[in-house]
Amino acid sequence: MTGEAPKAQDIFQDTVREAAFLAAKGEAPPNRYWFFREARWRCLDVVAHGVQAEEGTKKACEISPHASEQIEQLEPEQLAIWISAAPEPQRSILALYYLDEFNYREMMSMLDLKLYEFARALASGRCEFQAWLNATLPAAAEE
Amino acid sequence: MKHLSRRLRLLAECAPIANVKAPDRRMRSAVSRAKRTDDFASQQSFDRALAKLVQATPVSREIEEWFANEKMAAGAKRSWKKTAFHPAILAIGIALVVIAVVAWIQFDEQMHAFPGTATAKKLLNVAAMTRPSDFEPVQAEAGTLTDLFFMKYRLEHYDVPREFSQQRTIGVRKFDDDEAGQVGQIGLAEKRMQLFLFPAPQDSKTGKPEEFAGWRYIEQEGWTGAVQVHNGILFMAAVRGTKKDLAPYLAKH
Repeated sequence: MTGEAPKAQDIFQDTVREAAFLAAKGEAPPNRYWFFREARWRCLDVVAHGVQAEEGTKKACEISPHASEQIEQLEPEQLAIWISAAPEPQRSILALYYLDEFNYREMMSMLDLKLYEFARALASGRCEFQAWLNATLPAAAEE
Repeated sequence: MKHLSRRLRLLAECAPIANVKAPDRRMRSAVSRAKRTDDFASQQSFDRALAKLVQATPVSREIEEWFANEKMAAGAKRSWKKTAFHPAILAIGIALVVIAVVAWIQFDEQMHAFPGTATAKKLLNVAAMTRPSDFEPVQAEAGTLTDLFFMKYRLEHYDVPREFSQQRTIGVRKFDDDEAGQVGQIGLAEKRMQLFLFPAPQDSKTGKPEEFAGWRYIEQEGWTGAVQVHNGILFMAAVRGTKKDLAPYLAKH
């Protein structure tokens, strides 16, 4: 979400601290979604001061059958930087979806999105990432 | 996935990455149909590779330490006290109590109802509005007025029960009521009590007066009546007050 590990770590610690503070007041977070929502808002607040991502192009594209081999060549940090550079709410959608922790209903609820918005942003995220993969790893794409 | 309907295509685009059971029937249906297409297989392969990459994201030791106890993020369970005092639960609870009280009052009224309850209640209102000057002055023992009702008004069996027969009267009157029929009303000197005699309602099938055993009480706007039926005639002793004001008279016998 932030593209920077130190910022993410601060946000993580602030979120946990907030949860502990609320628990001490007898108002402990009601469920685990609270942590993700809280962390997301903190991330958005932090990145709001930085350079803002532009909306991606809505071109039709196809996921390459060799995409998984292209992805295997990436480092997690590259993916993190790519996702953190996506515009909102696509960035939050991609971050939550690829955490592979929640089903689509839980994610839509956490992000306050409708199915159309969620699915479109996810699909265009895949396309844009595939395009970036093709540009970054052309050799693998040609194979 | 182009041949899928728009909604199914949207759902298939958010399909679970892992081979877990879809959260709802629509999603299961969308995944099941999308599986027949090649591009869904590519999407799944793409998503799994990305999820695997995310899982490989290095986590600092400091953050790992936070997760030494996984229960930390489990969230707090609501205590039963907190749940009970939730405004919605509280509102439902109050509503149920009100419904239960109303139901109990109605059930209690039904339990104490007797043939002629409605008429008796109406006559309690008459008692509340009657002034001593409305009576034809008669100073005698209440029990002796049976003959008066028969001789003067041709009313048979308008007998005052022995519980009240020794009471001194201040007056008497007879009037016709739409519901009660011919009503004999006696004013007593003691506690400004009033006695009513009127025909008991008749059973619609047999045509006989409906009867019940013993004394029944009714209350209406500060007045209390003790009602008894005898020979097809209802007798009601009415007093401004509660059951306690009438109980001594009924307990004598």
